[in-house]
Amino acid sequence: MLIQIAHFLAILSTGLFLTTFVFSFLFTKKDRNITRLISRIYSHGFLMLTSSFFIYIWLALNDNFSVLYIAQHSNSQLPSFYKITSIWSAHEGSMYLWIVFLCLWGFLYSSYSPNDNILKARTIGVISLIAVGFLSFLLLTSNPFETILPIAPMDGADINPVLQDPALAIHPPMLYLGYVGFVIAFANAISFLINGDKSIKWEESIRIWSISAWVFLTVGIALGSWWAYYELGWGGYWFWDPVENVALMPWLAATAFIHSLSVSSKSQLLRIWTILLSIIVFSLSLFGAFIVRSGIIDSVHSFANDPERGLYLLSFTGLLVFSSLILFSYRLPLLTSKKLITPFSKESFISINNIIFGTLIFSTMLGILYPLIYEYLYLKKISVGAPYYNAIFVPATILACIFLFFSIDSKWQRTYRIINAYTSMFFSGIFSLAITISVMLYCVISDLWILVSLFTGLLIIIRYLFVIFEFLINKKYSNPYSIAAHIGLGLLIISISLNSQFSSERAINIKINGDDIYKDYRIKFDNLELIKMSNHDSVMASFIIDSPSGKTFVLNPEKRKYFTRGQITTETAIHATLLKDIYVTLGDQLDDGSWIVNIQFNYFIRWIWISALLMAISGSFLAFSLRGTSR
Amino acid sequence: MITLLRFIIFVIPISLISFLYFFINDNDYYPGADFKVSDMPAFELNSLYENSVVNNFDLEGSYLINVWASWCITCRIEHGFLVQLNSQNIPIIGLNYKDERNDAIEWLGKYKDPYRIIIHDYSGSLALDLGVTGAPETFLIKNGKIIAHFSGEVNKRVWGDVFAPVIKKEKVVWNDQI
Repeated sequence: MLIQIAHFLAILSTGLFLTTFVFSFLFTKKDRNITRLISRIYSHGFLMLTSSFFIYIWLALNDNFSVLYIAQHSNSQLPSFYKITSIWSAHEGSMYLWIVFLCLWGFLYSSYSPNDNILKARTIGVISLIAVGFLSFLLLTSNPFETILPIAPMDGADINPVLQDPALAIHPPMLYLGYVGFVIAFANAISFLINGDKSIKWEESIRIWSISAWVFLTVGIALGSWWAYYELGWGGYWFWDPVENVALMPWLAATAFIHSLSVSSKSQLLRIWTILLSIIVFSLSLFGAFIVRSGIIDSVHSFANDPERGLYLLSFTGLLVFSSLILFSYRLPLLTSKKLITPFSKESFISINNIIFGTLIFSTMLGILYPLIYEYLYLKKISVGAPYYNAIFVPATILACIFLFFSIDSKWQRTYRIINAYTSMFFSGIFSLAITISVMLYCVISDLWILVSLFTGLLIIIRYLFVIFEFLINKKYSNPYSIAAHIGLGLLIISISLNSQFSSERAINIKINGDDIYKDYRIKFDNLELIKMSNHDSVMASFIIDSPSGKTFVLNPEKRKYFTRGQITTETAIHATLLKDIYVTLGDQLDDGSWIVNIQFNYFIRWIWISALLMAISGSFLAFSLRGTSR
Repeated sequence: MITLLRFIIFVIPISLISFLYFFINDNDYYPGADFKVSDMPAFELNSLYENSVVNNFDLEGSYLINVWASWCITCRIEHGFLVQLNSQNIPIIGLNYKDERNDAIEWLGKYKDPYRIIIHDYSGSLALDLGVTGAPETFLIKNGKIIAHFSGEVNKRVWGDVFAPVIKKEKVVWNDQI
C-alpha cells in the first residue's frame, strides 16, 4: 500500500509542477500575488515529491522487497546506512534522487527569493518544466516503484560491494547537488531572456546559488576521485574515464561561469558570456546524465538499460538546449553592449580565460565522442586516454594560470598599469624560478612540462602570498575567498606535477615469509589469513614494511569474495603520510604458491584532495558571505 | 560578429545531438547486446542434478546459454519468458553461476525448469571465459560460435530486437536433440 502511495504522490507532484509551469507562462502580469501563488503551487509539488521520497527511504529501511528496485539492490543483511544509500546505487533510484535535488534547489529558491522579483515566477516555471520532463522520464521509462507481485522474494540481491563504502555513499548526492544546482542560474537566465528587459540586474542574486552548486560539484568530483583511489585498487586519482569527464566538463564551465558572473554582477559586462555559460553549464549537466544513463559508453559507471531511455533523455536535453539557444540568439542584439572591454582590465583577463575554458570543454567533449564517431564509421573500438588529455590540459592550464597571474591586482574596467604590481610580480617570478631550479637539481627532474607546471603553480601561490602580505602591511583590501581558492589551484597544479614525476609502482612475486626490497623499503610477507565475515570471505595478507628511516609498519591488503553476487574485490592497504602514500594491493596467487603483490609509492596524492578541498571551502565561505544577496 | 556567434552556438550542438541521435537509432546499437562472433570456449563441468560431466561435445548445433543464479532477482523476472521459449522448442542450456547446488535446485523446484541441461559453474570458470559480468546473461550459439550475447533480462522485446533478427539472418536451426 505504501508503495502505491509513494508512486501516487510522485505522479501528483508531476501534475503540480506542470500546473506551476502553465501558470507561470499563462499569467503575463507578474505582480506579487501571482508570484506568491506560483511559489505556493511549486512548494506543494515539492512537498508531495519529498514525501514520496521519504516513504521510499522507509520502504528500503524496512526491507520491502516487493519493490523490484529495492529487491535488486538492497539486502536484509546490510547495515541501515547502506540500505538507504542503496537507493542511489543504480539507475532508477539515482534518477529519483537527482530529481528530488533538482526540485529542492527550486524550493529553496522559491522560499528565499522575494516575491517582487519580476523574474521569479518564470524562473520557477522553467524549473518546473525541467522537473516535469525528468519526472515523466522516471515514471515512464524507469519506474522505481515497480513491484514484484504476488510473492515478494525472501531477500534482496545486495548492493554492489564496491559501493558499500562511506565515500561512495555521499559522492553521488554531492555530485547531483552540484549538477542540478545550476538549474537556478539557467532558469534565471531563460526568464531574463524571455522578459527581455535588459535593465533587470539578476546576476547578483544568483551568485550565491551558483557558487554553492560549484562547491558541491567540486566536493563531489574530489570524493569520487578519492574513492576510486582507495577502492578500485588502480592507484590513480583520475583516469579520464568518460564519466569522470562528463563531470569535469560542467565543472570547467561552472568555473568559467562563476567568474564571468562576478564581472556581470558588478558591471553588466560579459553578459553574453554569463548567459551563454549558464546555458552551457546546465546543458552539460544534462548531457552527463544522458551519457551515463544511455549506455552508449562503456565505463565503470554505466547502468544497464534499454534504448528508450537514451532516446528520451537525448530528445528532452536537445529540446531544452535548442529552445534556450534560439531564445539566446533572438535576444543577442539586446545583450551586446556598445562599451568595449578595456584591454588589461580584470574583465579582459577573465574573458580570455573563458575562451581557454571553452577550449578545454570542447576538447574533453571530443575525447568522449571521438571513440563513438570512430566506432560508427569504422566499426572498430578505440579509446582516447591520458596522453590526449595531457597534451591539451597541461599547456592550456598553464596558459590560463599565466593570465591569472597577470590579472591579480588588475582593476575592473580600467587598464592596469603593470608598474603598480611590478615588484611583487618580479619577486614572485624570481622566487618561483629559484625553487623550481633547486627542486630540479636536487631531485633530478628533466621533464620540461613538469618543471613548467611546477613553476606556474609556485608563481600563483607566491604571487598571492604577496597579496596577503600587502593586506597585512598596507591594509590593501583583497577578496580573501578568491585568494584561498586560487592558492588551492596553485597547490593542485604543484601536487599533480610532483605526483606524476615521483610516483612509481612495481609488481613483485613474493612467497609467505619471503621478502623483497623496493626503493630501500624492505617488504616482508608475514602472514596470510582466511577470514569469514557475515557477507564475504576474505584472504588477508600481512606485510611488514621497514622504511629506510628505521620505522616499521604493517599493511594488510585483502581480497574479498562476496556471497550474494559472487563478486571478488580487492581491498588496498595504504600507509599515508603527508608526503607520500605506500599503497599495496594483493593480486593473484601463482601456481608455485607465491603471490603477485603490487606496490606503489604515490607522492603528494593527499595534497591533490587537500587543494580541491581548499577550493571548495573557500567557495563555501564566499557563498556564506553572500547570504542576503539573493534578495 | 553576432552572425558568427549565432553560427557557432548552433552548429556545435546540432551536429553533436544529431550524431548521438543517429548513433542511438543505429540498428546495430542496442545497450547490452554484442554481436561479435567468437568461439565457444572449451569446458568440462558438472551438471546441476546428477553428478555427470558436461563438456563442449555434448552441445552441438544451435542453442541458447542462459546464465542464472538463485540469488539473482532479475533472473526470477526473466524466468517466465524462458519457460515460454522452452515451450516453443528452443533449447536453453542453463549456466548456474556461482551458486550453491541446493539453493539452485530448490529455486527450480519452486518455479518451472526451462533448461534442457544445467551446468553448475560454482567457481565461475566458464562464465569467465564467456566474458560474463553478472547474471542474467544470454548467449546464442551456432555450431560452436557465439553469434549474439545479451547482458540483462531477456523478455519479449529484447527477443524481438536482439535475437530474432540474428536468428533470421544466420538461418539458425535449433538443435532439438539436446
